[in-house]
Amino acid sequence: MIPTIILAVCVMLALAGVFAVLLGWANVRWHVDVPAKLQHLMDAMPGANCGGCGYVGCHEYAEAVFHDGAPPDKCPVGGSAVAERIAEIMGIEHVAGVPSRPVVLCGADFDARLKRPEYRGEPTCAAAVMVAGVQGCTFGCLGFSDCVVACKFDAIHIVNGLAVVDYEKCVGCGACVRACPRNIIQMVPFQADAMTVVACSNLDPGKVVRSVCTVGCIGCGICAKLDDIFTVADNNASIDYDRYQADTDLSTSIEKCPRKIIRYAGK
Amino acid sequence: MGVVTDILFIALATAVINNLVLINFVGICPFLGVSRRIDTAFGMGCAVTFVITIAGSATWLISHFALVPGSALVNAVNSIAGSKVVEDMLFLQYIIFIFVIAGMVQLVEMYVRRFAPALYKALGVFLPLITTNCAILFACLTIAKSPELTGNFLFALVYSFFGGIGFTLAIVLMAGIREELDNADIPEPLKGPGITLITAGLMALAFMGFKGMAG
Repeated sequence: MIPTIILAVCVMLALAGVFAVLLGWANVRWHVDVPAKLQHLMDAMPGANCGGCGYVGCHEYAEAVFHDGAPPDKCPVGGSAVAERIAEIMGIEHVAGVPSRPVVLCGADFDARLKRPEYRGEPTCAAAVMVAGVQGCTFGCLGFSDCVVACKFDAIHIVNGLAVVDYEKCVGCGACVRACPRNIIQMVPFQADAMTVVACSNLDPGKVVRSVCTVGCIGCGICAKLDDIFTVADNNASIDYDRYQADTDLSTSIEKCPRKIIRYAGK
Repeated sequence: MGVVTDILFIALATAVINNLVLINFVGICPFLGVSRRIDTAFGMGCAVTFVITIAGSATWLISHFALVPGSALVNAVNSIAGSKVVEDMLFLQYIIFIFVIAGMVQLVEMYVRRFAPALYKALGVFLPLITTNCAILFACLTIAKSPELTGNFLFALVYSFFGGIGFTLAIVLMAGIREELDNADIPEPLKGPGITLITAGLMALAFMGFKGMAG
C-alpha cells in the first residue's frame, strides 16, 4: 500500500518535471515576439471585453489598431483617456470627439400609459413584444428590463415602468440599444452634458396617441415651427443631432410642447 | 484481412458508426456551443482532430511504455525494488492522461503560434478550450481499453484521427442545420437551446441507423 502511494507520487512528480522542462523549453524556443507597441496597446485597453468597439475583445481591437490602423477612439469604456493613450502610442493625432450615449425615446412611465391590461407572460421585453395588447402604445417602452440585463455597467434602470439611463455610469457601449426589441433606444452624440430629446417614438396619428398615452408626441409641429432643428415626419417629432451644438438652446420648444415630451436627458 | 482493410474498417467504425458525439455522447459542450456557424464549427472540428490525434498517440506511447503490465517502467520499478511491488500502473491512467492532454495542448498551441500563425488565428480560442473536451479523454481511454487498439500503434493512430473526423462531421452537420434553422419559423418556446437539443437528438437517432454495419 505505502510503496504504491510513494510510487504514484514519484511518477506524477517525474511527469510534472518532464512537462515543466518541455513546456519551459518550448516557451523559450518557440517564443513569439510581440511588438512592443502592440504590447503597450494591449496594456492601455481597459480589459472590459464588452465588444462596444465592434471587435471581439480588447485584444482584437489592439491588433486592429496596430495592424490595420483602426481609429483610436472606438473604445467606449475608456473614452477619451484611452483614445489619447492609444493615439500617443501609435504616434497619431487624436481629435477629441464627443461621446455617444443612449437616449430612451419614450417618456411615458407606468402611470402615463393607458390601456394597459394585466400581462402575466414571460417577464421579458423580447417575449412581451410578441403579444398584442400588452399596453396600448405599440411603440413605447415595455419596462421588462431587457436593457437592464444587457447593461454590464449598471447604468440603465426601470423607474416606474420606464427605462432610465444613469449617465454617471453609462460608458456608451450600446448594449441596451441592441437589446431593446422595440428599437426605442438610440445612440446620440452628447455635445453637452444634458441633451434635448423628443422622448417619444410613436408614429401613429395624434388621435391614436392620445388614446394610449398621456404624454406621447401627437405630431402637432409646434416645435418645428419654433426651431428648424426639429422635423416632424410620420406624426413624430425628431431632432437633427448633426446640427446640434453644445450651446443649442431649445428651451422655448420644451416649454411650448403641448404634451411636454421634449425633455432633457443627461447629467 | 489485410492491414488496409482493417484501417478502413476502423476509420468507418469510428467516424460514422460509433461517432463520438452522436452515438457515445461525449464532447457535447462544443457540439452545442460552437455550432452556430459552419466556418467556426469546421475550425473547432479541425482543432479537435488535430489535438485528438496527437493526444491519442502520446497516451498510447505512455500507456505502452509505462502503464500496462510488463511495460518498461513497471519492470524497471520492480527490478529496482527487487521484488514485485506493482503489477501495473493503470491506477494512474486517468490522471496521467488528463495531465498529458493538457500538456500536449499547451505544447501544440506554442508550436502552432510560432510556425503557423494563420492556423493559430483560425483556431483562436478553441485550441486552449479543447483541454477540457471530454471527447479527447474518451478516445484516449477507449484506446487503452480495447485490446485491438492497445496492441497496434497504427490502429490507435487511425482510431484517434477518425474519431476527430467524426466529431468534425457531426459538428459541421449541426452547424449547417442551425444556420438553416435561423430562417425557419420555430415555435416561440422552442427557440434557442430547445430546438438545438431536439435537432441533436434526431441526428443521434439517424446515426443509430449505421449500427451493425461494420465492426
